[in-house]
Amino acid sequence: MAGPKKTVTASSQSPVSAITSAGQDLVKSYVDNTPKRVKIIDTFLLFIMLSGVAQFVYCALVTNFPFNAFLAGFGSTIGQFVLTAAFRAQVNPSTRSEFTIISPERAFADFCIGSIILHFFVYNFLG
Amino acid sequence: MQQRLLSWLAITLTVLASAWARSSAGDKVLVVSDAKLEAAEYSQFWDGLKNRGYELTFRKTSEEAPATSSFDVPSFSHIIVFAPSTKTYPADISPQSLVHLLSDPTQPTNILFVLQPSTPSSPLRDLGREFGISFPPPATPLIDYFNAVSPSNATSLLLTPPVTPHTPGFNGGDVLYSGVAHLRSNNPLLVDFLNAPPTSFSADPLEPADVIVEVAASGGEGFWAGGRMGLVTGFEVLRGGGRATWVGSLDLFRNAATAINGKPTANNAYALALASWTFQETSVLRIDSVEHRRISESSPRDQYRIKDDLIYRIHVSAYNPATGEWEPTSQIDDMQLEFTMLDPHIRTALSPVQGEKGWYETKFRAPDRHGVFKFIVDWRRKRYTALHSSTTVSVVPFRHNEYPRFLSSAWPYYLGALSTSAAFVLFCALWLLGGNEEEKKKTQ
Repeated sequence: MAGPKKTVTASSQSPVSAITSAGQDLVKSYVDNTPKRVKIIDTFLLFIMLSGVAQFVYCALVTNFPFNAFLAGFGSTIGQFVLTAAFRAQVNPSTRSEFTIISPERAFADFCIGSIILHFFVYNFLG
Repeated sequence: MQQRLLSWLAITLTVLASAWARSSAGDKVLVVSDAKLEAAEYSQFWDGLKNRGYELTFRKTSEEAPATSSFDVPSFSHIIVFAPSTKTYPADISPQSLVHLLSDPTQPTNILFVLQPSTPSSPLRDLGREFGISFPPPATPLIDYFNAVSPSNATSLLLTPPVTPHTPGFNGGDVLYSGVAHLRSNNPLLVDFLNAPPTSFSADPLEPADVIVEVAASGGEGFWAGGRMGLVTGFEVLRGGGRATWVGSLDLFRNAATAINGKPTANNAYALALASWTFQETSVLRIDSVEHRRISESSPRDQYRIKDDLIYRIHVSAYNPATGEWEPTSQIDDMQLEFTMLDPHIRTALSPVQGEKGWYETKFRAPDRHGVFKFIVDWRRKRYTALHSSTTVSVVPFRHNEYPRFLSSAWPYYLGALSTSAAFVLFCALWLLGGNEEEKKKTQ
C-alpha cells in the first residue's frame, strides 16, 4: 500500500512538507474522483466567493456609500452561493441518495427560478 | 391760466401738509382729563401737538361722549389720560377698555398716561400693575435735595433726560419734574426713558426726616429710593405695536414749567418728544415683503427638498415722520432668520444687501431633515416696533427618482452584481452542454 509508506516518509520529513503533500493528495483526489459537472459548480462557487470577498473588502476599506448598492451586490453573491450550494448537494452523485424525491432536472429548474428571482431583487435594490 | 393752476396746487398742498399728521398710526387724539383740570394751563403742549397735525378732542372723565370706540372700531388713534385724580372712569375708558384698545393687533390705540403723587386710589395704580409698574404709597412724591430747584421745595426737581434718537426734538437740557416715581418689573416690553436720580427717594414731603429715621431703623426695608426707580416708562405691545407711556408728573406738561426762575426749561420739547414716540412717529418699522426661493430659481415654492440651497429676503421700511412716508431702511444690523421645526434648525444672520436699500437677505442650505418648517424673523429691540414674520414651507425628502445614480464609488458593487448574473448564465449554458457530453459518454 502506498498510503502507509508515504506516511512513514512524511514523518521523517518536516511538518510543512507533510501538509503540502496532504494538500496535493486532496487536490489529486478531488481532480480524480469529482464528476465534471460538480467541478463546474465548484468553479462557479469559487468565483462567487471571491467576488463577495472583494466587495466586502472594498466596502470595509474604501467606502460603504451607497450602502444599498453594497447590500445588493454583496447579497447577490451570498444568495447565489446558497442557491448554488443547495443545487450542488442535490446533483452531486455522492449526496444524491439524500434527495431521491427530486430529480436532477427538477433541481436545476428550481435553481434557475430561484436565481432569476434573486437577481430581480438585486437589480431592484442596486439603485 | 397756468399761474392760477399753480396757485391752486400750492393751496391744496399747504392744506394737505397741515392736515398730515406725523404719526404713522393716525392723527385723532382724545384727551381725557379730570373734571377740575384746567386745559388752558397746558396750552403749549396742546399747541405743539396741533402744529404737528394732530386733531385734539377734549373730554372730561365725567362726560360720556365722545366714545373711544364705536362698534368695536377705535374712534381715536391716540389717547392722553390726563386724569390722575379721578376715582371712577366711564366704562369706555376703564382700565380694561384701555388695555383692550392698546392691545388691538390691527389698529392699536396709543395711550399716554400721566400721574401725580396726589393720586390716591386711582384705577391707574391698578392698571400700572398690569404693565409691570408699581407705585409707592399715595401722597409720597419724589424728593431729592441734590437736584431740587430750591432746598425749601425738594419735590420740584431739575433733571436732564438722556438724548436718544427715539425722542427727536429734545436736544438736551433741564426738565422740571415734580411728581411720583415708580418701579418697573422685569417685563421685557417695558422701556425706560427716564430714571430717578440716585439721591432721590419717595416720602411724605411734610415729614421727610421722620421717614428717613424710620427707614434707618429698619435697615432700609421698604424704602422707595435710588436710581432704579422710573419716572418715564414706555411700553410696547408685541402684536400690533401699540405703545403706552407712563409719565409720573402732570406738572411736566404745564405751561408754568417751561421756565423756572426766568430761565427756560426743555419741558415742552421733552413732552412733545415723549408724545412723538408714544404716538408712533419715531422708531416705527414694518416688514413690507418677504421672499424665499431656491438660489437656482426665480420664484418661490410651497415645498423644498432637503439640502436645497435657499435664499431668503425680507424688506423692512421705517416711518419717516418728516415726510410722512415709509422709507426703506438698511439700519438694522442684528436681524436673524430662524428656519424652525419646533426648534430652530438653522439660525443665521440677515444682513443688508449692498445697493438694495431695505432688503436683507441670507443664503443657507436646508437641513437634512424633512417636515413642516417656518422661516421666522422675530426681531425685538427696545423702543423699536417689534418685527415678526413667519412663513410656513414644507421640506420634503428626495423622491425615489431624484437620488443620484451610477455613482463612481458604487461601480464595484454594480460589477459584482452584473458578473454574478453573467456567471449564472454562463454556468447554466455549461451545465446544459456538459449534460449532453455525459449522456454521450454514457451512450458510448
